[in-house]
Amino acid sequence: MNIGKNNQKMINKLEKRCKKNLTIIRTLCILVLVTIKEYFAYRLNFLLWRLRTFLNLLIILFLWEAGLKSSPSLLEKQAFFSYLIYAVTISYLVLGTRTTDIAGEINSGAIVNTLLKPISFFRFYFYKDLADKMINLSFALFEAFLALKIFQIKLLLPQQIVLGVILLANGIMISFFINLLLSFIGFWSREVWGPRFIFFILVSFLSGAYFPLNLLPKIIYLILLLTPFPYLYYLPTKIFLGERFPLFVIFLSFFWFFLTYLITKKIWRLGNKNFSFWGR
Amino acid sequence: MKKIYHNLKIFFLFSRYSLRSTLDHRAGVFFFLFGKILRFSFFFFLIFLVFSKNQLLNGYNFTQAIIVFLTFNLIDTATQMVFREVYRFRPLVVSGEFDFILLKPYPVLLRLLFGGFDFLDLVVLFPLCFLFFYFLFQLPSINLFSLIAFFFLLINAFLISTSFHIIVLAMGILFTTVDHAIMIYRDITSFGRFPFDIYRKSLRDFLTFIIPVGVMFSFPPKALFGLLSFQNTIIAFLISLISLFLSLKIWQFALKKYQVGGN
Repeated sequence: MNIGKNNQKMINKLEKRCKKNLTIIRTLCILVLVTIKEYFAYRLNFLLWRLRTFLNLLIILFLWEAGLKSSPSLLEKQAFFSYLIYAVTISYLVLGTRTTDIAGEINSGAIVNTLLKPISFFRFYFYKDLADKMINLSFALFEAFLALKIFQIKLLLPQQIVLGVILLANGIMISFFINLLLSFIGFWSREVWGPRFIFFILVSFLSGAYFPLNLLPKIIYLILLLTPFPYLYYLPTKIFLGERFPLFVIFLSFFWFFLTYLITKKIWRLGNKNFSFWGR
Repeated sequence: MKKIYHNLKIFFLFSRYSLRSTLDHRAGVFFFLFGKILRFSFFFFLIFLVFSKNQLLNGYNFTQAIIVFLTFNLIDTATQMVFREVYRFRPLVVSGEFDFILLKPYPVLLRLLFGGFDFLDLVVLFPLCFLFFYFLFQLPSINLFSLIAFFFLLINAFLISTSFHIIVLAMGILFTTVDHAIMIYRDITSFGRFPFDIYRKSLRDFLTFIIPVGVMFSFPPKALFGLLSFQNTIIAFLISLISLFLSLKIWQFALKKYQVGGN
């Protein structure tokens, strides 16, 4: 009798969990679809944005093509260009975000609408980010293919895929939390674009989109490894290309993930306490 | 003459307002200046890094590549300083506020192009000039003729940039869904950050004769190094005149197509 009751309880629990998971997947799908629709409402705008990013990729490839002209090793060139193509493609996966809208919503008070939604604020924006990443990545893959054809690059095949994917997930999360933190500045100030402008410049150089960071003098490289920047896409890219790193570097990737998570949660709570708005 | 004086007075009035609004955002001033210096330093370092792998970059030595980079920054910063208002044009069209500008008793392009003089770029311009002259004197051979040609080609670049900005304004009216036409212009011009000879010939020709970015950024330093032919110098001035004429025609066409959006 008792066994039957316990089974029934287990079944009910499982049913509830399944329903919850289904709701999460449904919400994810809806949010992803809505974000994609938002993008395609301004198709020309989006295509021009992709054109801009492609132009930037071309400039870097042309620069290094000229820079490595006298390099005797073909393998070195192949590895270098493979790094650039992988890094730029992965960067769209890591940096693609919709959290930039949050600061404006805080300033205008529109964030109240998001807070009233029956979904966690963090999850809501993470799902939107996922859609952004999916769209940008699909275009970035096409652009990478074009770049490979134009520069006749033989791409090195990815290696250490499992570790690479884990570190890539870390990079995505670190980027998500830092982007949220930058938007939360809106709780205290209207001057939100300045810190983001500086973050954007720092990321573009210190995360290795223009060159592999190990080209830097060793001391600068080691100092840089203590910051969150290399863990966004330099480390995953290098891992995919088969390079091995000491264990503490892998540990630092996790360290930055948890640290940015904890700081974001803390700032979010403080910001909510500080937030007040009228007229909505 | 009287008209020029009148327009200059209005320009100074706009600039005074712009200075006041800049000083209202002190934190913004700090971040903007810091970000600009940071970006400049990073690109400077990138060129240094490329030269650590190779002594010559398609025939250019380090000093020449830096002069190309500094010339790009001089033109880019000067044009941003003068034409900052263009960056704020699209919201005026979308909200319908553009109507009020059309009603004002001064040339509409005076307000849209020169209405937001950026004093922060002026601050950046001084150290850039200092660096430029420092590297200029590192060049082994410069003569007065090449310096004069360089100076006139800088003015020429400014004229071409003016036409680009007028076209961006026209695009703001014709295609309201495009909100970063000016950024596309910025990205295309960023090809001029490095010596043009690193690009393939077809791209080089496209960027010189179809979209005259090459004329803007690569011709002045080439004249300085004595690498620009007389024929190409004349072509550069012709291109700027044609592009200015075309941009004004496009602007007039866009104005005729303008329909009130808001209000």
